[in-house]
Amino acid sequence: MTEQLAKEWPAPDGVHIDVRGLPPPEPMVAILTLLERPGMKGPLIVHHDREPIFLYPELAERGWQHEIIAGEPGEIRLRIARCR
Amino acid sequence: MSLAAAAFLGGAKSRLLPASVPFSFFTAATGFQVLAWGALVLSADELPGFRGGPGLILAAIHLLTLGVLVTTAMGAAFQLLPVATRRPLAAVWLAWLSFWLQVLGTFVLTFGMAIGGQEAMYAGASIVTGALVIFMLIVADNLRRAPDLPVVAAHGWGSLVAMLGFISLGIALIADYGTGLLTDHQSVALAHMILAAFGFMGLLSFGFSQVLIPMFALSRALPPRLGWSEFWLSIAACALGSIAALSGYRAGLLIAVMVGLGALGAYLWLMKEALRTGMRKRLGLSFVLIKLSWACLALCLALGLVLLSGITAPNGGVLFGFLLLSGWLLTFLTGILQRIMPFLASMHVAGKNSKPALLSELTAGLPLKIHAVCHIGAVVLCSIGIGANSVFLARSGATLGLVGALAFALFASLIVVRLRTVEK
Repeated sequence: MTEQLAKEWPAPDGVHIDVRGLPPPEPMVAILTLLERPGMKGPLIVHHDREPIFLYPELAERGWQHEIIAGEPGEIRLRIARCR
Repeated sequence: MSLAAAAFLGGAKSRLLPASVPFSFFTAATGFQVLAWGALVLSADELPGFRGGPGLILAAIHLLTLGVLVTTAMGAAFQLLPVATRRPLAAVWLAWLSFWLQVLGTFVLTFGMAIGGQEAMYAGASIVTGALVIFMLIVADNLRRAPDLPVVAAHGWGSLVAMLGFISLGIALIADYGTGLLTDHQSVALAHMILAAFGFMGLLSFGFSQVLIPMFALSRALPPRLGWSEFWLSIAACALGSIAALSGYRAGLLIAVMVGLGALGAYLWLMKEALRTGMRKRLGLSFVLIKLSWACLALCLALGLVLLSGITAPNGGVLFGFLLLSGWLLTFLTGILQRIMPFLASMHVAGKNSKPALLSELTAGLPLKIHAVCHIGAVVLCSIGIGANSVFLARSGATLGLVGALAFALFASLIVVRLRTVEK
């Protein structure tokens, strides 16, 4: 099986991860793995091709919250941050 | 894995049905589970030596298969397929119509079976057939427009074909009670069971597993080549098994069981990969049940191999059926349902409030523990009771199963109550 990896990069508004094109459930796994990385304080900006509603219960369970922010056409962009 | 398959985990909010649709199917199924075990308690003296025919045992079997397994499969398919295939359902009202027909038809059919009333059986079977035809049309329409997740879709198509077969044979069996139409009732009953349990429910459970188990375990995507191997082996086993049963070709049944064991091997390899690569290692009580269900399927097929090899085992046929329906399918389904019901409830809350409810807030732990202990005890005691021809053990097992089913119904009811509370 060809291994595809999510692209990650730091930016002033947070750590970005691009999970577009990954087969299920790898986008969710990549996002949760990044959130559980030691020292990860957020926010995390996710570039997705669809709204990942199956991710939301997992985020809530781990103390993170999400909001959809403006992205490129055809992209769903999420900002994930620690619950206040 | 095709890039187009990257659909399941996202983009689904618009394709979520109103929560009341899947939860109606699921709560009805939990109610039927109570009735099925209750009927088995009342008829436990007939269980070890059951040889077919109308009565409470036949009613219990169909409360379990149609009432619990098929009703749950309908609710799960209506909810999950549009999400998985990225295509909305053709019409929500059709899902509601199939729900009411399914519930009513199952009541009438099983009542007819319990009292030996052929007219009630005909009426019930006709109503259930109506529900299943609607289900088939909705699912076929959804699969037809969905190029994504081809392995899962193929399992869906296979299960629909098997459904046509088991409905036709089921109606022929009912007709035979009054007319003596069939030359070999037992062979047709066996083919009906193979198509219903292995063909319809088995293919659905193998197909959905390839999406749900990786999602629960948070694992890598599964290799599609092995998924296709499992699918074709499963199809071959079901086709060969049902044709061999109808023609009374015993060697064909033996080969079908061996091919089925091959399909199970491929499936278990896929599941092992999901669990091995999963980032969630503590999978909880649900996976105790799911793993037990896989063991029961392996035991069931191994017993089938033994029986078809000419080795006699006391009440071997009954034990095969019990391991198949209660041991594998019911155990698997309750394991999956206890994960998916809180998950769906949380997603529906998120859909309304943009803030999901915590899964832990929606899951009542104690009823699930009671259910797991009682259900496992029921499977073990009933199996021993059947093998040892002990009515006492069979009835004790069925009573445990009833307590477990009541605990599971409480769990499901609490989720619905909490869902409504959180939504407000």
